[in-house]
Amino acid sequence: MYRFTRACLIVLAMTTLDARIEAGAQQLAPAKTPSAPNAKVFFVDLKDGATIPSKLKIRFGIENMEIAPAGIVKPNTGHHHLLIDTELPPLDQPIPSDFNHVHFGGGQTEVEITLPAGEHTLQLLLGDQAHIPHRPPVFSEVIHVRVDPATVEKTRTPAPAGASVFFVEPADGATVARKVTVKFGLSGMELVPAGTNKPNSGHHHLLIDAPLPALDREIPSDLNHVHFGRAQTETEITLTPGDHTLQLLLGDHEHLPHDPPIFSKVIHVRVADTVPEKAPQASAADGRRPSPPDAAVYFIYPSNGERIYPNSTIRFGLRNMGVAPAGVAKPNTGHHHLMIDVETPPLDRPLPSDLNHIHFGNGQTEKKITLSPGEHTLQLILADDHHIPHDPPVISERIKVTVKAVRTARKRSRR
Amino acid sequence: MIVWRRSCAKSGPLKTFIVGLALAWAALPIVPVRAEPTASAPGAVVYFHAPLDGARVPQRFTVKIGLKEMGVAPAGVTKEFTGHHHLLIDADMVPLDQPIPSDYNHIHLGNGQTETVLTLPPGTHTLQLLLGDHQHIAHQPPVMSKKITIYVR
Repeated sequence: MYRFTRACLIVLAMTTLDARIEAGAQQLAPAKTPSAPNAKVFFVDLKDGATIPSKLKIRFGIENMEIAPAGIVKPNTGHHHLLIDTELPPLDQPIPSDFNHVHFGGGQTEVEITLPAGEHTLQLLLGDQAHIPHRPPVFSEVIHVRVDPATVEKTRTPAPAGASVFFVEPADGATVARKVTVKFGLSGMELVPAGTNKPNSGHHHLLIDAPLPALDREIPSDLNHVHFGRAQTETEITLTPGDHTLQLLLGDHEHLPHDPPIFSKVIHVRVADTVPEKAPQASAADGRRPSPPDAAVYFIYPSNGERIYPNSTIRFGLRNMGVAPAGVAKPNTGHHHLMIDVETPPLDRPLPSDLNHIHFGNGQTEKKITLSPGEHTLQLILADDHHIPHDPPVISERIKVTVKAVRTARKRSRR
Repeated sequence: MIVWRRSCAKSGPLKTFIVGLALAWAALPIVPVRAEPTASAPGAVVYFHAPLDGARVPQRFTVKIGLKEMGVAPAGVTKEFTGHHHLLIDADMVPLDQPIPSDYNHIHLGNGQTETVLTLPPGTHTLQLLLGDHQHIAHQPPVMSKKITIYVR
């Protein structure tokens, strides 16, 4: 108690009695505490330039001296001070105590700190029983760290114990139609629209074929993360044939999961692998298979207007559909056809098969072709198991390429 | 296997021998039926068109997959020198003689897709491609890409 009072007195002397600082210092902290020769303080397992998570346990090391709690008068001892984003304080005065100067007066040798995203500096400075640096001072080098913004936690809304979200339908493992009604519920909390900041409330998010997103940030909003910001408990979604996973995750007014997060178990549904109901209307007339919306076929290489070598690998890209070899009848799949130097053929019958209409019936997605020097046009058309383009057709733009003369190619390859 | 050994231990050397013979005999037809490794085409290569190794990408990005010397077929389709893509996210290479797991770290592109849109949290992630046959088992020799590292911003 006495020592505490004395420490306080020092602080008082420092802060209020400006004029007497020197005298006070001499009187109250006569002859600074000497440090041991070669004494060293350092960060354990933390290197200059490191990228660190926002919440981090850092450990302090000391060599040739010992740690003693503040107030203990013992030769060759001291206690750590962590300087965050600040320079060394004046070395003849007690180390300030604030957010930037953290005292470990209990003799701690580790601490868990939380830093905001960005660049920070850390430095250790040993202080004596009265928080004054030794003579000569014992401090570590300044280390620079970068806090990974991805690890910064937002303040999450607490959730009550026992709250849960659940699916009413479909059941786990159910086989469903392409258009499926999903109903869900919430217990132990109140359902409110997004933006309503009210304790113990939230709104649903449906994760389709997506893992749980990071729980310390806003739930993404896309086709795989559907928000029900108006507090809906029912929705109709359209799934492609095949297996899908569904999961519910409750979000607070800012779409941030609660703490602890409230999410349902992952349920699996299977969409029957039959030709969808759409098929009859599309294919009744001319036997064409439907293509999904947003399906597109395109050239990854080359691009329109590009100069290419006579022997070039043409690479095909396909969006929102899958590739299947010829003869495989599977919804939303097809195989590539490359049209060389021809107009777009009729799209309601099988594509011709010749040197200008190359079929990739084995499911290839790239092909090395040889073209004569000069200008050529290339176009990709996806077609179904019977080589008939889909409805609507999935067809690329017709691109123009210029094939370099062979000599140029050789010269270049020698370089 | 453990079950077999136990039964062998109980039933003495003669039976062990018979069982062993039976196993040896059975092994021949069993191998092609059960774990028949599907052959890959010589020179087959699977690779990323996008993103490239070391790329910085937004949280939501498209992965485009290239395949050389082989074709793509939906899962379940048995056709020589075809397979479907599997995208391993932040995962080590899986055992190559078993079906590739299906979870968040092992994305099956079972409909024959050659591109897919991923949403990943910011930070460093690894991606790797592995072609699987109609049973989701890697080919022999396996067709896999290099493991690439991307930075989601």
